[in-house]
Amino acid sequence: MTVLWIMVVVLVVALLLLAKLLSGVLGAARSITPTVTAIGGVAAAGSKDLDAVIALVTTQNYISQVVAGLANYGGSLDVALPDA
Amino acid sequence: MELPVAIIILLIVLIVLALAVFLLATIAELVKINRGLAAALPLVGELVSKTAPVNGVLDAINGTLVTGRDLLEGLALKKAGPDGAGLVESCFPGEGAKFLRRVGASGAVLPIGEDYPRGAAILNSLLGGTAPVPAAGSAPAPAPAASGASPSEAVPGDGRISLRDTPAPAPQEPAEPGRLSAMGARPWESPAPAAEAPAEPGRLTAKGARPWER
Repeated sequence: MTVLWIMVVVLVVALLLLAKLLSGVLGAARSITPTVTAIGGVAAAGSKDLDAVIALVTTQNYISQVVAGLANYGGSLDVALPDA
Repeated sequence: MELPVAIIILLIVLIVLALAVFLLATIAELVKINRGLAAALPLVGELVSKTAPVNGVLDAINGTLVTGRDLLEGLALKKAGPDGAGLVESCFPGEGAKFLRRVGASGAVLPIGEDYPRGAAILNSLLGGTAPVPAAGSAPAPAPAASGASPSEAVPGDGRISLRDTPAPAPQEPAEPGRLSAMGARPWESPAPAAEAPAEPGRLTAKGARPWER
């Protein structure tokens, strides 16, 4: 009989402990959900911002043209100015 | 049935129920997380695909800019000689020493400042500016590029070019075809005849002052 009462106490303690642990797991899982949603929003915004990356190709072309003009200008200076 | 046994059975049922409720709720949250990650994954893929060519483009831009920098540094080294590092230092503080390292030279870097009298004198001579006033009791200033003397010695006034109301003396023909020589083109080295007066008062006309236009 005593053993049965001891089992009752153990089961009560186990139930409380189990409830607490499962509650913690559930709380952690619920805290991840808004974070994942925020990651999706940030990724969407970042992807939209990166649409301007294609302008780098235009910048590259402009820089190539500028350096080509610079080379021509330097060639003219090379002819026009005396050497040191 | 005895009371303890009934309580034990009740507790076991409660434990099973608690496990079921909490685990089902956890599974539901994990499903939400999975859906959120599935929605974010394509967006992250877009980020990756859109940033993929950036490295190549930036490397190409850097390569082009380095080429232009090397070209200008070579030109500065060729035309300004020992003053090249100072010119670079004046335009980009802290870069003079790097310039010297890149060209394999050494020595102290002295910033030229906002004005480069030696270059101003050369340009002044090419554009037919006024002749410099040599110091009293001294010989006419030598060619700055060849002498390496202090630039201020070969420059009129404070070493600045004046493009207003300056009669342009006609320089001599270049010594080498296709190459402009400043030797003899400087007014203080050869008393060349005065060039034509500017067509418009206050504007410098270089017409006739450039050897390659004659």
